[in-house]
Amino acid sequence: MVSGLIFLVISLYFLVPLGATFYWSLRGEKDVLGLEAYRKLFADTNFLPAFSESIINAVATILLSLLIVVPTAYWVTLRLPKLRPIVEFITLLPFVIPAIVLVFGIIRLYSRPPLLLTATYDSSRVLLICVYVALSFPYMFRSVDNGLRAIDVRTLTEAAQSLGANWGTILFRVIFPNIRVALLSGALLTFAIVIGELTIALYMAQHTLGPYMANLTRSKVYEPSAMAIVAFAITWAAMGIIDFIGRGSSKRIANTE
Amino acid sequence: MPYLSISHVTKQFGDAVVVDDFNLDIEKGEFVSFLGPSGCGKTTTLRMVAGFEIPTSGKIMLDGADITDKAPNQRNVGMIFQSYALFPNMTVAQNIGFGLRVRKEPEATIKQRVEEMVSLINLEKHANKYPYQLSGGQQQRVSLARALAIHPQVLLLDEPLSALDAKIRISLRSEIRAIQKKLGITAIFVTHDQEEALSISDRIVVMNTGVMEQVGTPFEIYNFPKTRFVANFVGSLNTADAEVVDPANGLVSMDGVQFESAEGTEGRKKGDKVKIAIRPERLSFAADQKKANVVDATIENITFLGSVVRIQVKIGNTKFNMDTFNNPFLELPALGSKEQVTCSKEAVLVLDE
Repeated sequence: MVSGLIFLVISLYFLVPLGATFYWSLRGEKDVLGLEAYRKLFADTNFLPAFSESIINAVATILLSLLIVVPTAYWVTLRLPKLRPIVEFITLLPFVIPAIVLVFGIIRLYSRPPLLLTATYDSSRVLLICVYVALSFPYMFRSVDNGLRAIDVRTLTEAAQSLGANWGTILFRVIFPNIRVALLSGALLTFAIVIGELTIALYMAQHTLGPYMANLTRSKVYEPSAMAIVAFAITWAAMGIIDFIGRGSSKRIANTE
Repeated sequence: MPYLSISHVTKQFGDAVVVDDFNLDIEKGEFVSFLGPSGCGKTTTLRMVAGFEIPTSGKIMLDGADITDKAPNQRNVGMIFQSYALFPNMTVAQNIGFGLRVRKEPEATIKQRVEEMVSLINLEKHANKYPYQLSGGQQQRVSLARALAIHPQVLLLDEPLSALDAKIRISLRSEIRAIQKKLGITAIFVTHDQEEALSISDRIVVMNTGVMEQVGTPFEIYNFPKTRFVANFVGSLNTADAEVVDPANGLVSMDGVQFESAEGTEGRKKGDKVKIAIRPERLSFAADQKKANVVDATIENITFLGSVVRIQVKIGNTKFNMDTFNNPFLELPALGSKEQVTCSKEAVLVLDE
């Protein structure tokens, strides 16, 4: 009874604002409930460039982050378990440093020679992706680390070695396929963060989705709600994919231990 | 020249010496077991042969080639792990074919070899299943097939039966031995289970705290243990404090009761403190058969163990276990009754105290 009540209150806490936002997004046309706000949003010439730029940034961030985090987490699990607390601490730093502090630090550091990276839009974009990679560490490292802990990394590695496999084969044919849910989960969390990130992109004068949304709220009434619903749908689609792929894989790993 | 030679191999982790001056020559086709308690260095020695650990000193030669410092993927050794270590993302056939694919064998060769191996382990119907769809015993058989598929020069088995239940363990160990004999492959088997080692091996290396205690056939290890550790570790053993009475005639005294031993008093002198050790199955009632040692005993306890009945007797002030085969017509003495117990002089082992 009490737990049911708590569930109801929590559900309302989430669902009422969401429902209200969705309802507001349908009121783009006077006295009619419809998808006018969505139509206007997608028709806006600034929306798709911002959206595609954010997606490209997100994909680049994911690739770079995977390239750094997976070998690090694998090596820490396999050979340097004593370093785990240090690596965990480093990956948690983005949680400790506020985004506003981070962005001003970056601008100060990279606005003068020899590391002048804010001179052009494209070099700033590269810098932004590097910052996003650092921001993704807490999510990516934790996801990958959990995935590696779920399998017997050491024994699988040794089994593959005894069969003649080199490090590349071990990583790509044995380890990656068995932690693909973890990789996907880290990737999609990173995707969700990069897609909605505002502070750093705004101060680095990037035309991504975050600044676009902030700008939208200043000039439009219904489109920001439509944009919020679209962003929410993307995030939930990402979570749904993680859950769907994770179901079969966890069963497979649990039964071979 | 031995096929596999482990010479003066020592392994240290920091200050701790885990394996100390290990020396062993293994002939081609031989099945050797490393037997010992946890932490005795048996797995570390095996891992040095596999290449997962590099010896601090010493040399490992395989078929005339020095493999001491070779990477694991450059040695042609097959390894079987306690936890099966099958790749969860691959089917049985893909697991078995993995090593051949790594070696870039032609697809037709891989297919043929996988079929051979699947047939060898009698899992033809399961070739397309994933490891999670198999029982523990089946998974370990796949692991065996995967290790054998690459035609390894040596097969290394690291406690492969420990995770299985008793019945599967017994049937699988027979299967492993039969396959090893059929293929004539050289094998090293690590176990802490003496029954496993005794039943499967050509030779056993008993290890303790990084040191080889004794190397011998199962028969030698069980019947003629050279050290007190081996005597205690392999099989059940009654031990008691004793004193040498007549070294020339192998006489020792325990609580005033004299025992004659066939060996073990050489080099000792009268009055030396020793331990005598007698296996439970070597003791019997004197009425059954007359042997060198006939001593008075009191029946303390009788335990039915299925195929064996264990009778606890008190000789002097020391309790001994005596095992006798069960049969439906076995007449057992009453508890507390006085009986005479006997054993041959070969059954009495004299060990250092």
